[in-house]
Amino acid sequence: MSKISPVTGHYVEVDVDGLLYKVFYLENGTGQPLVCQHTAGCHNHQWRGLLEDEEITRNYRVIAYDLPRHGKSDPPENTEWWKEEYQLSADHYANFIVALCDALELEDPIFMGSSFGGNIALQLALRNPDRFAGVIPVEGADYSPGFYLDWWQHPHANAAQVCGSGVWDLMAPQSPDADRWKTWFYYTQGSEAFKGDLYFYSVDHDMREHLGEIDGDNCPVVMLTGDYDYLTTPEDSARTAAQIKNAEFIEMKEIGHFPMSENHAVFRTYLIQALQMLRSKSGVDA
Amino acid sequence: MTVTTPTPTAVDWANSFAEANNQDPEIQAHGKYFTCSYLLDMVEHTFVVQVSRGTVVDIAVDPGPLEVSYQFAIRASAETWRGFGVPVPAPMYHGIWAASFQRDMKLEGDVLVLMQNLRCMTRQIELLRAVGVPV
Repeated sequence: MSKISPVTGHYVEVDVDGLLYKVFYLENGTGQPLVCQHTAGCHNHQWRGLLEDEEITRNYRVIAYDLPRHGKSDPPENTEWWKEEYQLSADHYANFIVALCDALELEDPIFMGSSFGGNIALQLALRNPDRFAGVIPVEGADYSPGFYLDWWQHPHANAAQVCGSGVWDLMAPQSPDADRWKTWFYYTQGSEAFKGDLYFYSVDHDMREHLGEIDGDNCPVVMLTGDYDYLTTPEDSARTAAQIKNAEFIEMKEIGHFPMSENHAVFRTYLIQALQMLRSKSGVDA
Repeated sequence: MTVTTPTPTAVDWANSFAEANNQDPEIQAHGKYFTCSYLLDMVEHTFVVQVSRGTVVDIAVDPGPLEVSYQFAIRASAETWRGFGVPVPAPMYHGIWAASFQRDMKLEGDVLVLMQNLRCMTRQIELLRAVGVPV
């Protein structure tokens, strides 16, 4: 039996807001595209369990990309990016994801992201309800202040370890040690992007006055949040979902802020529920 | 008969905590530069933990005013610390970041020193899950 994984990697050029990116993505499966965004300061290996999940990839084309400046997706090719401070805006983040889906020629994709990926999922449902068949915000909320901190890049501390251990408590003690330590390891690799990502997460993202404007019939929203998440708590996500038309919220037990990476075996049970809800809402199972 | 977990005396606890740290494979593997002093304020008891190159070399138990200096402090109610001192803590009692954001824990003093030692400090506080807390 072959030991070669069915997961494949590719690069695609994305031209958005005047910036040219060469974007790396991993994919596996056939069917409706399920586009997956990693968390701030991290990369697409957080979705390693989902990418090799035979049951889900039988019906979905799972695409997990590295956002520019993360993993194998470099900063922009056509600017002197090193002369500017990186601060990710909601506008550029949303525009990039739509441009990526266009570049990949995806039809009716479902968008799923965790943490700052969950928050942009809410932004996409508001801004581009016609482009997505639905969104699954994981560990997302209308507003998530408090994590845009200088510690992530402080030159007097070991930024790699501060990022890795600074997010350690976001994971549940029940999650397997090996998976939590992989997640820690990924975080040691992303300190130069983490703080700029959190500008979006904790500063630019504020949908408290806009949840009622989301067209949840056209773009159904199913939110998932773990009970060990101290940044975006289940109460935060429940409050958010309650204000979105036709939205659902599922609290995940004994799991934290990086559910797909810290414990895919537990996360997948909730994800399968969420996918079934989206099918039902879009009339596929009706 | 009611079975309860006995609360260790403060001195016994300090000895157990130091022993757990000094025998911990992770801290001993990564603690070459883990050197700092900090106050653990559990209200009913206070401790100043002195760490040198990964080894707990002294724990002052209930020191008097001005007796022992330290670089940073981790303060919380006895109830919060009791949440830390069980094998599998409930949500928001599972680390100093979680309890600072969602409970009554305070991180005070020279927090840069905490950040400089964050990897080993995180592990050291998790030793409370095995050692328990004296409050």
